Amino acid sequence: MIKLENVEKVYRTSAIETLALNNININVRKGEFVSIMGPSGCGKSTLLNIMGLLDTPSKGHIEIDGSKVEKYTDKSLAHLRNQKLGFIFQSFHLINDLSVIDNVEIPLLYRTSSSKDRRELAQEALEKVGLSNRMKHFPKQLSGGQKQRVAIARAIVGKPEIILADEPTGNLDSAMGNEILSILQQLNEGGATIVMVTHDDAMAKRTHRLIRLFDGTQVF
Amino acid sequence: MLQHLFKLIWNKKGTHSLLIIEILASFLVLFGVLSLIVFNVRNFLQPIGFEYEQVWNLDLASNQDTVDVSRKLTNVMQRIRSYKEVETASRMSSNAPFSANQVSSSITYNKVSVGADFYATDQDFNKVLDLPLLKGRWYREGDRVAKFIPIVINKKTEEKLFLNETSLNKIIKVDDKRSYKVVGVVESFKAKGEFMSDSPALFEMIAKDDSWNSNVLIKTKRGTDANFEAQLVKDMAVMLPGWGIEVSYLKESRHNRHNLTLVPVIIFLIVSAFLLTNVALGLFGILNLNISRRKNEIGLRRAMGATEGKVIIQFLGEIWVIATFSLIIGLLFAIQFPLMNVFDLDSEIYITSIFASIAVIYMIVTLCAWLPSKQASRIHPALALHEE
Repeated sequence: MIKLENVEKVYRTSAIETLALNNININVRKGEFVSIMGPSGCGKSTLLNIMGLLDTPSKGHIEIDGSKVEKYTDKSLAHLRNQKLGFIFQSFHLINDLSVIDNVEIPLLYRTSSSKDRRELAQEALEKVGLSNRMKHFPKQLSGGQKQRVAIARAIVGKPEIILADEPTGNLDSAMGNEILSILQQLNEGGATIVMVTHDDAMAKRTHRLIRLFDGTQVF
Repeated sequence: MLQHLFKLIWNKKGTHSLLIIEILASFLVLFGVLSLIVFNVRNFLQPIGFEYEQVWNLDLASNQDTVDVSRKLTNVMQRIRSYKEVETASRMSSNAPFSANQVSSSITYNKVSVGADFYATDQDFNKVLDLPLLKGRWYREGDRVAKFIPIVINKKTEEKLFLNETSLNKIIKVDDKRSYKVVGVVESFKAKGEFMSDSPALFEMIAKDDSWNSNVLIKTKRGTDANFEAQLVKDMAVMLPGWGIEVSYLKESRHNRHNLTLVPVIIFLIVSAFLLTNVALGLFGILNLNISRRKNEIGLRRAMGATEGKVIIQFLGEIWVIATFSLIIGLLFAIQFPLMNVFDLDSEIYITSIFASIAVIYMIVTLCAWLPSKQASRIHPALALHEE
């Protein structure tokens, strides 16, 4: 589903050159739930951004669902992100000026769908994460766990095949974290391929496979 | 997407209220200035109605002289007409073309009253100014023995006073006292120059013993120069000792008159251009700040599938929505002008100005938002999402 071959990422400034990722080779199969672990600054988020086509590697190849994306234009990459990928972030990234349901609808704005269809899909996604009673609320009126559930609803509203989660439980207490992970497991059981960055060993153990990074290098 | 943008701006209306007021104020100022410009341009495009190139205005002031003024003026007219340099000449009231003087009265016909400019002239006035007649004729000496005083009106007077009737030979009342008979109709007479609107006017025949109306319009032959002017002034001084004598060329008077109209318009234009520039700079700064505060959102939208183009449209769309809110409020005010016929101007002037103001406002906000929106679209999504 996601294939990375010899991926390298170097950040260059006029003064220094930082090797963020070095010779990464990962193959995430369809329906897998993979976690990425490693100490802070080891390149986990960089790797997830590259997988999510939000960043480009300095070297190497990426394949998403069998398509090599190196030569994709901005428009094609945006289309691929919109259709195939769903993102969940540690700090939720909800738009405070929009209601819960309007936040969930965002990925559908970049598709050709009617407002009625968008509303129906958003309601469906919110029901899946158990927030159908909070649709008209605004993010500031929600707890951290509820915010993350809204973010999950937003990630799944377009029915993407891949969900990329960057420390989704990082800002939550353990009870809330478990609840979020249970939702992700349910989604995985429903067929979604999930790649999750985490610091938590207990969370990582509940996934199918663990990828460890250290100083930008994959540790087996 | 449009619904999304409206929702986003509506939910942030408190934050955007000052911006909305700023754009509203700009719209209203622009509407005022453009109404003034449209009014003047429309007037300018309508014909002035007469020829002035070779015409001089001889302004005679009797000062303390009260003895036999009427006879003296008759002699002066005879003398002026006798010069070989003069094609024709006419006496008229002090409100000569392009002068600052104005004489107005109310005229009534069949219970319809109209305010009109009054010009006292003689039988040669239309020849001096090449004033073409649409209907009837100009008054002549023989009309003095008629029962009613003859008058010539312009088309605007005919339209407003007689509505769908023909005006010729109709008797009208001036100030509900004197009765006049319409003998002719001219197309238009914009005495204050091209920028004047074509308003109702009527020309009354000067009485034979009149001693008040001492302006003389002289149509000179081509090539007549200042030597004749000197000769004329010298002769007049001999004929009218103690009188004030002043010669002006209508061509120059027209130029001065135009300046009187254009200078305030230009001042308004400069003030509003300055105001709009300030608004534009303010808008540009606010949008730049807004974008730097919303980097997370930009990153998020890019992650959700927004292309660079869609990010540009998002930010341009937001400012268009803000401008639309301002314009809706502004339109509630502006639309009152044509509806209530404010300043008695044609509603077309206001409607044109409204549309032009809307176009200018959208143009300004687009120009101000373009660069910040372009910058927003270039923000790297991975970096934007990483920033807290």
